[in-house]
Amino acid sequence: MSTNVAEGRARSGPSFSFLASNEAGLFLITVLFIVFFAYVTPGFTSPFNIYALTRVLAIDAVIGFSMMVVLVTGGLNLAVGAIGVCAVMIGGWAMQVAGLPIPIAALLAMVAGAAFGVVNGVLTVVMRVHSFVVTLATMSLFFGAMIVVTEAQAFNALPKAFVDLAKLKTYYFASSMLYVSFGVGVLLWLFFHHTLLGRQILAAGANPAAARLSGVPVEKTIVVCHAMSGGLAALAGLMLTARNGAALPSMAGQLGIDWLLPAFLAPVLGGTLLTGGTISVVGTFLGAALVTVLSGGLLQLKVGEFWVQAFLGIILLVAVALDRLRAHVIEKRRIR
Amino acid sequence: MDLLRTDWFGLLVAFLAGATALALTQPTFLSTFNIYVMLTAFSLSVLVALSQMVILAIGQLNLSVGAIGGLAAIAFAGTMEVWGLPIPLAMLIGVLIGIGCGALNGAVTHLTGLNAFVVTLATLSIFKGITIGITEAQPFYGIPDAVKAFGNARIGFFPYLLFVSGALLLGMLVFMRRAKLGRQLLAVGGNRSAAELSGIHIGKVVIAAHIISGTLAAVAGMLAVARLQLGQPTIGDDWLIESFAAPVIGGAVLAGGHVSVVGTVLGVAIITLINNALVLLNVDPFAVQLLLGALILAAVALSRFRDPP
Amino acid sequence: MTDKLVITGASKAFPGVKALDDVGLTLKAGSIHALLGENGAGKSTLIKIITGVHRPDAGTVTLDGAPVVFHNPREAIAAGIAAVHQERNLIPRFSVAENIVLERLPGQGGLVDYRAVRADAKRAMAPLGLSLDPDTPVRNLSVAHMQLVEIAKALSLDARLLVLDEPTASITPHETDTLFTLLRGLRDKGVAILFVSHKLDEVFALCDTVTVLRDGKNACPSRPLDALSYGDVVRLMIGRDAQAVRRTERTISGSPVLALKGVSTALGHRNISFSVRAGEILGLYGLVGAGRTELAKSILGVARVTAGGVEVDGKAVNIMSVVEALGTHRIGYVSEDRKHEGLVLMHSVRRNVAVTVWRRLARALGWLPDAAERDTVMPFIERLKVRTPSLAQPVSLLSGGNQQKVSVAKWLAAEVRILIIDEPTVGIDIQTKAYLHELIHELAAAGTAVILISSDMPEMIALADKIVVMAEFEVVGELPNTHDAAGMGEAIMACIHKVEAA
Repeated sequence: MSTNVAEGRARSGPSFSFLASNEAGLFLITVLFIVFFAYVTPGFTSPFNIYALTRVLAIDAVIGFSMMVVLVTGGLNLAVGAIGVCAVMIGGWAMQVAGLPIPIAALLAMVAGAAFGVVNGVLTVVMRVHSFVVTLATMSLFFGAMIVVTEAQAFNALPKAFVDLAKLKTYYFASSMLYVSFGVGVLLWLFFHHTLLGRQILAAGANPAAARLSGVPVEKTIVVCHAMSGGLAALAGLMLTARNGAALPSMAGQLGIDWLLPAFLAPVLGGTLLTGGTISVVGTFLGAALVTVLSGGLLQLKVGEFWVQAFLGIILLVAVALDRLRAHVIEKRRIR
Repeated sequence: MDLLRTDWFGLLVAFLAGATALALTQPTFLSTFNIYVMLTAFSLSVLVALSQMVILAIGQLNLSVGAIGGLAAIAFAGTMEVWGLPIPLAMLIGVLIGIGCGALNGAVTHLTGLNAFVVTLATLSIFKGITIGITEAQPFYGIPDAVKAFGNARIGFFPYLLFVSGALLLGMLVFMRRAKLGRQLLAVGGNRSAAELSGIHIGKVVIAAHIISGTLAAVAGMLAVARLQLGQPTIGDDWLIESFAAPVIGGAVLAGGHVSVVGTVLGVAIITLINNALVLLNVDPFAVQLLLGALILAAVALSRFRDPP
Repeated sequence: MTDKLVITGASKAFPGVKALDDVGLTLKAGSIHALLGENGAGKSTLIKIITGVHRPDAGTVTLDGAPVVFHNPREAIAAGIAAVHQERNLIPRFSVAENIVLERLPGQGGLVDYRAVRADAKRAMAPLGLSLDPDTPVRNLSVAHMQLVEIAKALSLDARLLVLDEPTASITPHETDTLFTLLRGLRDKGVAILFVSHKLDEVFALCDTVTVLRDGKNACPSRPLDALSYGDVVRLMIGRDAQAVRRTERTISGSPVLALKGVSTALGHRNISFSVRAGEILGLYGLVGAGRTELAKSILGVARVTAGGVEVDGKAVNIMSVVEALGTHRIGYVSEDRKHEGLVLMHSVRRNVAVTVWRRLARALGWLPDAAERDTVMPFIERLKVRTPSLAQPVSLLSGGNQQKVSVAKWLAAEVRILIIDEPTVGIDIQTKAYLHELIHELAAAGTAVILISSDMPEMIALADKIVVMAEFEVVGELPNTHDAAGMGEAIMACIHKVEAA
């Protein structure tokens, strides 16, 4: 035997390196903030506040996933908000006007979202430009078309059964919508880590040239990722619609731009690189959790709703700068 | 045939065709007041577009153009209303805010080596957050009459606002074509490592580009105050798409190294024309979003066709 | 003559490699000094230290007797050092003139005087006999002209120290002669010149002294060149007399597995014909820019074949994508550019090797079990003796040689019948190089048809059964390999020169 691979180590089970991982750090910081806010503001741990926060978390996590699956290709999707709103307006129409059963209407909305995503993916591949410019254009296109078609009217007589879905509670105070986020997270994890297409996506995202020369259908992976992103944006939109009790054209702000910050914050805090090829489902969820805890806590502290946005911007900047620093330190240590 | 290969010729033809069609079908189109309305809109949009164009030249992008404009606008309006500062001093503060915000964007992207996208996304929410944090989303109404008068003043169809934008536009034209710094900007965008090996100070150039971008955005924000007659904290919220649309329509290469001031100006002119046409034709003003999106896609597709990678 | 530049004890490490280890060099004013070494020996790193791109981890650089530390290229330029680097360093959309004077755009008050730019540029091009329109955008030029523009740019700085990294890689013999006359003139005026080239005849014709690097170390620091023979220099470069490859007995079976018949491609190849049989090693030799890598990619379906025919097993095929080349015809390609095209550096060893077999391992619903992946990958990692702590190790943390083994291992795992190997031994250590040479023989012995692309003449002569010579995207000769190093070398160069002269 002349192998240089230490057999035992190559096949060894779990190690403790996860303690040094991004996820563990994020988890710790989130817990520390929870403890801090619980201590300084009595209202933070009230059942109602927890219910409200978990509802926000459930939605923001899915918005984060929706961006994460495109970041993995090294691209991005500025149109998540626009797609979410467009899909929801279709779903709202299906429920309220066409009177379709709720599951069918929801499925229709998600299929529509995925179809919008396919448009993004195909345009990116065919025009061979960065998805930034494609999704910048389509966010304007989709949103403009939606407003023209709906005349900016909301669907506010949705079936009660649908709206009640958002009111379900688990263990008396956590929103049941968390199950949806968990379910999506588990599926995404299995997909990216244990299926052919998932791994091809990761390889193509990290190094498209190398992946292509190794027989990976790079273009297909890009279209699939954009389709998933669109579908997830639609799902997040449905959850938000159930919470709001109406399908509102304004629910994600002008052009859907209000979703961009949560969409980027969660995966980027969670360690997903903008350059593509990595993914952290757990990290994205924890990133969304940290953002939810911070904004919720700051509001409880009466910091003023308006300053929270500035604060989140600083968090994003600090997080990416720290990540950069960490990569730099690791590199230095490797040289020695 | 060389004309067809330029960035501006096709755009000029498109603009003239559109304008001719409107002039023939809509009698109000060529009225003095309508031209004045268009030129006023143009004055603001062109600064927003140039602010983005400078950053595209170095191969980066700037999501915070609108947020910088908004922050400068409310600082300009707020210092006059709350502190009673004289107009020139308030303008100076507005400009300094633009310079400062730009310098922050440039310094952070350069020093950390981070993607400008994520940096300006973060600063976008920081600047925007400060704006609404200070104003609590309420406008400043106490704008001095001189500023209000300037915002409405015109000679025939020519708005005073265009004196400011026009001067900056000419300055940018000369800057990108003839100034050493302008050429260095394009060199960095065209081939970063080659520029570095040729002794160009990358950091200086990147930060300078962001400062110019921030300054142009700040001036646009202050002109918006003059035009709206109040310090609206939502100034800049809707600049994002427009800021990219005009340079991209004007032939800017997103990877950097090539932008066209004339093309960008024509891009702004075409967008202004479309906006005006929708108003004259009584079309839903939101259709402009749809058209802008389609226009960006068409411009990118066209540049792929004309100038394959 | 005075010492212009003295480097002592220079070391530089990058993740996974020690690029320079205690290297010294003395460059005298008024001399032309050759810097030699195989690919990856550390020449480029040394040049980048001299020109301020990299800072050494250890060691000193002394310029005109005073120690200097350059923090960036600007400081090196200010100190009177000009360089022609190996990578294209021009701004594609700028004009010839603006590129030449980019360091010092003339003008006043921050504005550029374009009349002066054009005049300066013409003045810089004249000595090279170059008469390009100064307003032409550089991206419209041929590769040879781009190289000449870069040389003009470096010469125009009136530097006292001139560094030329492979300046003749893509220009004609005539242009080379003009350049050499110019360089000799500069030398006589007291300029110190550091000259890097793969072409030994050029080195012996031009240079006075030589430094040889091998594996990042000094094989010979700054010796007069006239005391050395060709053979001495080659020995210093490769560390032994000849490439001693252990040959495995092989049978080359009858009909061609892959044949190109008059192929032209979208990338500019014209009328390319050759064929390779099972168990055969076909060498594709040519200078940088001869179109070999591009040909490989056209065979794989990355670029289109526009005329002529490609045959696999005697049947005409039309390969549209790598998916098809690998899946249907089992053709593999080991890229010359490991970092950008060969490997996904941030991913693990396991995934990098398994990428070619995922499709085969996938079960229902695309489910890909870890165990199956591990069991497929492990034997190849063992067989190639890849030095890695575990299969989960990111490839970026391996040494260059081990990275290259991983890059080869994925094609072994894919069990390809036709393997195109592009510059397999660039930038790796001698042991791995020798091992890879043996492996290529073993593969052929096991019946794989191998196409070996290499600019390393000794490697080519040691390995190939027949050598197809390419120049300017055409085949200019096909020679059976006699394994006689000197004779083959001359025959190959004769093919290339014949075309260049025409």
